[in-house]
Amino acid sequence: MTSTPVFSEFLGPAGEHITAAVSFRGDLPYEAQCGVVRQLDRLVATLARYLTDLPLPDGLGPSPALERDSAGRAAPAVLALDRASQSLRPAAAGAADSGDGVAHPAVGHLSAAADYLAAGRDLLHTHFTLDPAGARTASSYWAPVITSWPVTAALLSELASYAQNLAPWIARQSGARRVSPGALTSAQLALRNAEPWLALAGTTLQAAQRAHYPLPARRLLDAIPANAPPPRQPPSGIEPVTELCEQIPLTAERLRHAAFTFAARARWSPAAASASWRRDALASAITSHGNEFILRTLAERAGQLGLEPAFRAQLRDAAQAMERAWKSWRAVTEQWDIVTTGAYRGAGLTPAAREIGDLVLRTGRLAYRNPHWTPACAHTSLVRDPADLAHSPGEIITALSAVHHATDAINQIAANDHQAVLDAAAGNLLYVPTRLLPDTCDIPHPYTPAPRVHADAVLAAYDTTIDATTRITAALEDLAIAVNAPSSLLTAARQASIGTQLDQRRQHDERNAPRPHPVTPVPGRTEQALRKLHIRDPALLLRAAVIDHAARDLLAEATAKAHSRNIVSGPGSRSVPGLRQAPAPPARVASQDMPPAPRAGQPVAAMPGVSPARPVSPPATHRRSPHGGLT
Amino acid sequence: MSDVPEANDIAARLRQAASLPEVLAAGLDAFEAIRTAARHCQDQVPELFAAFMTTADAAVDGREALTIAPSLPLDGGAGPGAVVSTGADAGQAAGALAALAAVLRLRLTDAATQADLPDDRTACQDGAEAADQICQLMTR
Repeated sequence: MTSTPVFSEFLGPAGEHITAAVSFRGDLPYEAQCGVVRQLDRLVATLARYLTDLPLPDGLGPSPALERDSAGRAAPAVLALDRASQSLRPAAAGAADSGDGVAHPAVGHLSAAADYLAAGRDLLHTHFTLDPAGARTASSYWAPVITSWPVTAALLSELASYAQNLAPWIARQSGARRVSPGALTSAQLALRNAEPWLALAGTTLQAAQRAHYPLPARRLLDAIPANAPPPRQPPSGIEPVTELCEQIPLTAERLRHAAFTFAARARWSPAAASASWRRDALASAITSHGNEFILRTLAERAGQLGLEPAFRAQLRDAAQAMERAWKSWRAVTEQWDIVTTGAYRGAGLTPAAREIGDLVLRTGRLAYRNPHWTPACAHTSLVRDPADLAHSPGEIITALSAVHHATDAINQIAANDHQAVLDAAAGNLLYVPTRLLPDTCDIPHPYTPAPRVHADAVLAAYDTTIDATTRITAALEDLAIAVNAPSSLLTAARQASIGTQLDQRRQHDERNAPRPHPVTPVPGRTEQALRKLHIRDPALLLRAAVIDHAARDLLAEATAKAHSRNIVSGPGSRSVPGLRQAPAPPARVASQDMPPAPRAGQPVAAMPGVSPARPVSPPATHRRSPHGGLT
Repeated sequence: MSDVPEANDIAARLRQAASLPEVLAAGLDAFEAIRTAARHCQDQVPELFAAFMTTADAAVDGREALTIAPSLPLDGGAGPGAVVSTGADAGQAAGALAALAAVLRLRLTDAATQADLPDDRTACQDGAEAADQICQLMTR
């Protein structure tokens, strides 16, 4: 149970409201038409903002990793949504104060969809801040997950489905298919102008994400929480196993949040001191110790329930890895017995160190029989009976998930503390109490800089611990994935985050690499064909450029599919010798996805939102290919 | 007080300390002795692992608190010595450490009320708090 809102709470209802809106089959009265235009204007503007939020590639050139560059390939969709928005805006502005049509269900659904989408975007924005230079920076450990290509692709897919749902309904409501010859209303004209752009946006978005994102990406997208920790609920009273298994992930989430937010000020905060690191190490050792018991008990229970031997073996292996982890943490605590950063009264502890005791208590109460367990001798207890810990196979997975969450949080805290200790050692901020040194050392101060051997021992203990926690995390990730535990989401998030970091590193390297001379984008085949016909209308040329772009994507996708099919079926399979069909021209293939040409009676110069005087740049990712087309 | 004679020795030293510097020095040595003993016992009984680990940590807290007391003599004292023999079991050790921590809490609380310097007072109060935590951890 969590009170922190997650993205699916906004994305899901938004999609449902759009579906509900487009399910209205009748003709809209004029007031409702105005309402639809107004709400559609909000909706389209929000969709466009989602796209402009995506991390665009540096410069205008294409990224070498185009398959990951969903944002770059979504650029034409941004243009299309912008054009749709410009088509709707004048009519929407005219109807803004009238309040017309709000009572109509279709208008209400579109309004609600726009609200939910806007709120969802706000939720995503909580994970970023703007630095003084205006650049967007991460303010949570979810930020690299949000900007990762699988999650971006999943988001694009969802947005594409909205656009694709809305476009045909708008076409119907704009009177495009009606039989009676009456004049169109201004609202219908606006809808008619917007519809092709919305359809194009849907097609382009679908092509941009290519449906190649891994399945966990959609789960990740849904699970993105608002960047606010769940409220703290200190252990109190008796928490049964089910409640402990619910609370441990929340406690872990709070700790991850605390660790990330504190990392930014770790270099100057007085709380970043050995007292906090020592507390973290102690809690990590005790929690991991309890987790080892839990894993061993789960392995025993898995045996009693006759679950697969491989699963039991995995649990036992994880327990062994957990044992190595707590022993390494124990070694860290022993190092902090002697070494210190000094005692600073009033410095307090880091937020994670202040709350990590909650994780100790809950893990201990899950591992042991005593529901009031604490580290005190008076509360010692035997380990839980296997059947008490997990009655059914499903409860084994739930308990495993809790262990995974706790370990993941510890892993994150360990990484931060390790970095902080490295910084302290580099700054010669590690000391030992003078009184613990041999009597031959005559030092008139309570502390003296830690001899090299002590500082090295602390760092070595952390190195060993980081290695051990990495191993146990990997073991738990494998287990979580194998049984599809709820905590497998942590694995997906970590992998997505790593992907983003690699991309950022690559972009950084590219930025520092010598740049080639800029290449002037040249028209593709469709655009060239229009130019040969002496077409100068920017709207048509823009659409041609977008079509050329889509054609390239389609060809690339088709080539990839054909390639994979050949690999799967082997040479010659399912093919008839001598019967070889020539591929259709790219523009013709792509035309299936292009928006319809302006309808009869609609002047070309009135194409939505493009000023005839404004030069139109082809989409950002176009460049000259060796054979003169757009790539 | 305790059936572990080594703990009785250091408890006696604490009781006999007549001045603040002597209390601080004996207290610091007591904390260090508790830490060493807890580390010695922490792996003996798995169910007591958390108790002894946390006790060792609390002993470090207490030692750190007293280390910066202005009245603590900078030159080494008698040294902590051992408060539990290597042959003592974890249960006996816990009892001995609880008893020693109780004496420590009492002496440091008294010292805090008599200290003239605010930093000495704070050091004694923080030390008494750590001793109290050890007492609670080790009492069965």
